Amino acid sequence: MIRLENVSMAYGEHEVLRSVSLHIPEGKLAVLIGPSGCGKTTTLQLINRLIVPTEGRIFVGDTDIAEADPVQLRRGIGYVIQEIGLFPHMTIRQNIEIVPKLLGWDEERRNARTTELLRLVGIESHYLERYPGKLSGGQQQRIGLLRALAADPPIILMDEPFGALDPITRESLQDEIMLLQKKLRKTIVFVTHDMDEALKIADLIILMKDGEVVQAATPHRLLSHPANAFVESFIGKHRGSRRLETIRDVMSERVVCAGGDVSIVEAVDLMRREQVPSLFITDESGRFLGQVQIGDLGDAVPEQDCAVSKLMRTEVPAVQVTDSARDVFRMMLDARIDELPVLDAERRILGIVTRRSMVQSLASAVWEEGR
Amino acid sequence: MLAFWQTAVKNRDLILQSLGRHLMICAAALCLGVLVAVPAGIALSRRPRAAARILAVFSVINTIPSIVLLGLAMILFGLGFAPSVAVLFLYSLLPILRGTYAGLTGVDPKYVKAATGMGMNPRQLLQHVRLPLALPALLTGIRLSAIYVISWATLAAFIGGGGLGDVIWMGLQSYNFPLVFCGTIPAIVLALLASALFNRLIRLAQKHVREEVRR
Repeated sequence: MIRLENVSMAYGEHEVLRSVSLHIPEGKLAVLIGPSGCGKTTTLQLINRLIVPTEGRIFVGDTDIAEADPVQLRRGIGYVIQEIGLFPHMTIRQNIEIVPKLLGWDEERRNARTTELLRLVGIESHYLERYPGKLSGGQQQRIGLLRALAADPPIILMDEPFGALDPITRESLQDEIMLLQKKLRKTIVFVTHDMDEALKIADLIILMKDGEVVQAATPHRLLSHPANAFVESFIGKHRGSRRLETIRDVMSERVVCAGGDVSIVEAVDLMRREQVPSLFITDESGRFLGQVQIGDLGDAVPEQDCAVSKLMRTEVPAVQVTDSARDVFRMMLDARIDELPVLDAERRILGIVTRRSMVQSLASAVWEEGR
Repeated sequence: MLAFWQTAVKNRDLILQSLGRHLMICAAALCLGVLVAVPAGIALSRRPRAAARILAVFSVINTIPSIVLLGLAMILFGLGFAPSVAVLFLYSLLPILRGTYAGLTGVDPKYVKAATGMGMNPRQLLQHVRLPLALPALLTGIRLSAIYVISWATLAAFIGGGGLGDVIWMGLQSYNFPLVFCGTIPAIVLALLASALFNRLIRLAQKHVREEVRR
């Protein structure tokens, strides 16, 4: 949806961005984050051409924005800023309807849209004829958000939108933006310097430093696989207290697999070496087929050359990597299951949850102990 | 006091006529001033560096004693209404220019950023955002010009412009001091009324802009 290709930006000698390449997919909420002066706001303002890059190309959809009319481009992109910037001489309604008016919508259509927007965030309609000065900061930014959404643009740019609000209001607006995102599926680019905020709302976190992208990854990936020491230090405190949400957060990646064609002797040997009581059997492309346990093999000692797949249990319960950790824990406890293979959408084995890994991850979450 | 009233009643027609003329001169000069200085102020707000120099030039014009300018205008345009208006127009420019310039450059950049980001073109930005927000300062400039122009218009009588200056001049020449007051007092009242009117407009324009600041 939004693509930056080797974009550089300099003011005279001062380089603000150095060959930044980015891809923000449609319908995702991407967070640009980094220490101040890292170029995150500059990157945001490149997208609606408030800033023109010295080098590189920027695409919104399929259009190279260097060839687009900046005024038309901006009318198709919502824009929310930290200072809010509701116009004090216009009523709330006039503020919300600015872009629809610029686009020449008739009054009936504007009215209908404004009513729809108010319903979306649960603001009462009697606010419409008031002036922004009468509202609290949080309410004002809620209106700022509606103003950006008014003409239903596919893309919204948000420049530290909640930075000036108190923590409680900020939390509630974060919840609101997540809710809106779920309903409307906009492509959102969100600048913040608050890692808590980024981890909470982002589908994709783009961590920047000194005008370069250090790492672009999902929040989970960023926490579990920080690209370098800078990323690690930036996410610092969040690593220990990471939340146990999906099975990915609790599984062990140490899983012993074998192909279906290995012999029983080889299988027993492998289990002894790896000190595991069972083996997972996969096909050539790593898809999960079944499991053999050491007890099953013992009965088959006379047929040592036989392929292990003959003894394999295929009715083995397995979980998806995206399943809720909580549900899986309950299932393991209720059904007295000792271990479960964790599969991705293509049934490839990614890891294993055992009672042991379960207890370990709980301990690390509670006491922040090493993992 | 009694003498003043008697004189005023006796010269009622002259005073009213001069007052009308005075108003006309002032209104014409002020309207021209607004028509020229507001667009000029808008143009200046786009070039802050040139603005400082141009405003300095106008400051110099306003320091030229009005009697000198009136004399120059008489040489250039002759006697009567037009040269009077021309001189007063020149005097009205600077305060309006200053007010417009200060108002526009004083608009909080966040509004300009928000408006530009939403896709307003420069004309829409000016019309919907910058001018409304600059309005209180702009009106303050016009108010100042109005007061200047009303008081200086009394000098227009010297070059045959007419107005309340005529009444004062006549009084001075004939040592009829009550008549002098018959010209002076209406001019003062006129200036005070104009000031009050503009103050009211300024308050209206400030209403919502102020609320934002108070937050």
